[in-house]
Amino acid sequence: MIIDAKLYDGVSSKEHNVQIEFTKDGYIKIADFNIYEPISNVKIATRLGNTPRLIEFKNGIRCKSEQNDKIDEILKSIGYKQPIIHKLERSWKLAIISFIAMFAAIVFFLTVGADYTANFIASITPRGTLDYASKNALAQLDKSVLHKSNLTKEKQEKIKKLFKEITNNNPRYKLHFRSAPSIGPNAFALPSGDIVILDELVLLDKDKELRGVEGVLAHEMGHVVYRHTLKGAVKSAIASAIIGYITSDITFLATTIPTVLVTTGYSREFETQADDFAIKRMKQLHKSTKPLANLFIEMEKSIAKRDGNDTIKIPSWISTHPSTKDRIKKFNQN
Amino acid sequence: MDFMDPELKNSPSFSSEQLQKESLSAIPLKGEMSEDKIVELKSNNEKQENNQRTSSYETFEFRANPKEYFKIWIVNVALTILTLGIYSAWAKVRTNRYLYASTYLHGSNFEYNADPKRILIGRLIVVGLYGGFYITSDILGLQTLSLIIIGIFLIILPWLIRQAIRFRLKSASYRNIRFRYFGELKSFYKFFILSAIILVAPYFVLIWAVIYFDNDTMAMTYGLLIVIYMILAFFVIYPIIYKKYQELIINNSFFGIDKFEFNASNKSIMWIFFKVFLWFIVAFFLIGIGVSVIKFFAFLPSSHSIPILRDYPYLIKYFFMGMTTLIYIMILGFMKGISDGYISNFVRNHTTLEEAKLKGTIKPAKLGWISFTNILLLLLSLGLLYPWTKIRYLKHKIENTHFACDNYDKFVADATDDVTTYGEEAMDFFDIDIGV
Repeated sequence: MIIDAKLYDGVSSKEHNVQIEFTKDGYIKIADFNIYEPISNVKIATRLGNTPRLIEFKNGIRCKSEQNDKIDEILKSIGYKQPIIHKLERSWKLAIISFIAMFAAIVFFLTVGADYTANFIASITPRGTLDYASKNALAQLDKSVLHKSNLTKEKQEKIKKLFKEITNNNPRYKLHFRSAPSIGPNAFALPSGDIVILDELVLLDKDKELRGVEGVLAHEMGHVVYRHTLKGAVKSAIASAIIGYITSDITFLATTIPTVLVTTGYSREFETQADDFAIKRMKQLHKSTKPLANLFIEMEKSIAKRDGNDTIKIPSWISTHPSTKDRIKKFNQN
Repeated sequence: MDFMDPELKNSPSFSSEQLQKESLSAIPLKGEMSEDKIVELKSNNEKQENNQRTSSYETFEFRANPKEYFKIWIVNVALTILTLGIYSAWAKVRTNRYLYASTYLHGSNFEYNADPKRILIGRLIVVGLYGGFYITSDILGLQTLSLIIIGIFLIILPWLIRQAIRFRLKSASYRNIRFRYFGELKSFYKFFILSAIILVAPYFVLIWAVIYFDNDTMAMTYGLLIVIYMILAFFVIYPIIYKKYQELIINNSFFGIDKFEFNASNKSIMWIFFKVFLWFIVAFFLIGIGVSVIKFFAFLPSSHSIPILRDYPYLIKYFFMGMTTLIYIMILGFMKGISDGYISNFVRNHTTLEEAKLKGTIKPAKLGWISFTNILLLLLSLGLLYPWTKIRYLKHKIENTHFACDNYDKFVADATDDVTTYGEEAMDFFDIDIGV
């Protein structure tokens, strides 16, 4: 069995037209160059489309042949094992299967895979590390955007009492009062169990017993219980790695937009989970979340007042939180 | 080129002397060749000798087939995702093998010989550094530690870039003769440190001056100085730094034992940057026109009479936002093609391999158009047309590259090349690829 090829000796760039013979006893013979080698000593490259096939000898000599089909036939007949990769690359059927497998894998990794990894990392991360990181983060925020709280002692005591009730007096949870005009009405939780509530939010609660604030505290506690901060970081890292790999060649915007869509999706999922936790917790304490719904209405009003009516409403699918309307409805039902 | 270089004789490849004799005479020492064959070979030789006297430009040819490449690409992406990224190194090798093998010059194609394991090592280093930075800064909030990681990264960056360039050149060959890179580490550090100082230092001096002489009238002057420096930087400093970088790369590159030479005047590169700048102005106009056209149609009173839009008026706003983003992305793509076209031509037109000249005849506006429409094709196909867009872009670049060589048979491999088992080189452990 003979194929035509071009030979390059690796010393000069001269091209030699040669004939390569595959003998029946498994040798490769190039008479013009005194080559007679067992096929096991020769590296025959995997086929790659219809590009010239490379045949490499141990001494640096290389041959290239365009007769891909013939080579495949010869290799098959002498039982030379070829890697599977070209088979995958050759057929349209397998290409379509690859595409489906890829699509399924992306969906799987972005949902179940990311969840599992995040849970796993959350479970092996020691408490000490989280506490240390949270302390750092709070110190940073105190230096930049957070100011001392101006709430009256009376109000603070009232909220502290509610907080103890909500957290069942668990010493892990600590409450901090701060004010931050640049952030507006809000509250947030750090992975260590430190929960910060801002004056701007407390002042919006029209309920005498501050039961709206209580609901907010329960919601923030939910974030701590489910380790949302850590999971969010892990999940968005995974998402940006996957999306970045697929789209990196196009433009940075092609990477940014899907990443934002996916990560805000994670964030909405966490918020919903924390909302459900708040409802459950308040139910256990035989309390209603209606005051929390009212607080949300007040928050919406105050934000509208601040920004005016001309703001572009952010559609819920690119927002970090579920739509306020839906949340109010849900809290009103419980 | 001296064929009988003493080092060459000692080259480890077996019977290399014999091979050289053969390649010089093209008459086999032993063999079962017929008389006609020898006559044919001789006449071939004469033809080649005739070719040697002329040295007109020959054009590179790109024979990649989008359908073939699509299948290679989709398998690469699927396996990369299924193996959590590990296969990406092998995917890169297969992609490059395909693209190099599809590029022809004088009837012969290029070869890509990289070892995927090296690429994997390079990727692991970069992912490790990035992961370390992400964990320390975003998750743990350890500012000092994350700054240390950035510091390490900046310190090793010139080294990483040099290793990557070396790797890329060493991985490529043509007619079994490898490209080489011999840039010194010292010159890389010198280049990067000096460039960083030139680019950043003036701002620091000005900021310091503003703080030191704290008064309002002077502030205006400093502001003006910063603007003047920025203009100067774009038209003079960036072009010169870019030219120096190309000198660092090309003047240390070899094909076998033949050296590449890059030789351009400062004026010529500044002129290129100026032309790109003019196109930028055109691009801004295009963005302006595009946005106003969309705005005109989106906010036309009659469009409010469309039932869906009447019920959901904010849809218009989303449409407007979406279309504006699209225009920006496409114009960015256009500019990428334009600047790539100008700069690729510039580099080709000022590069020689010994006496043989390279020439670029890329049409920047056409490359810009290809890149512009590619983005549209990618969006409409949700990325599935990627192989088509890539080949389309490369084809215009490669098939507008020309090389004037009098003899394609004259190149000789570097004898220091270790031609070991299976043509795989005994590369330094840290010959890696980070994809620059």
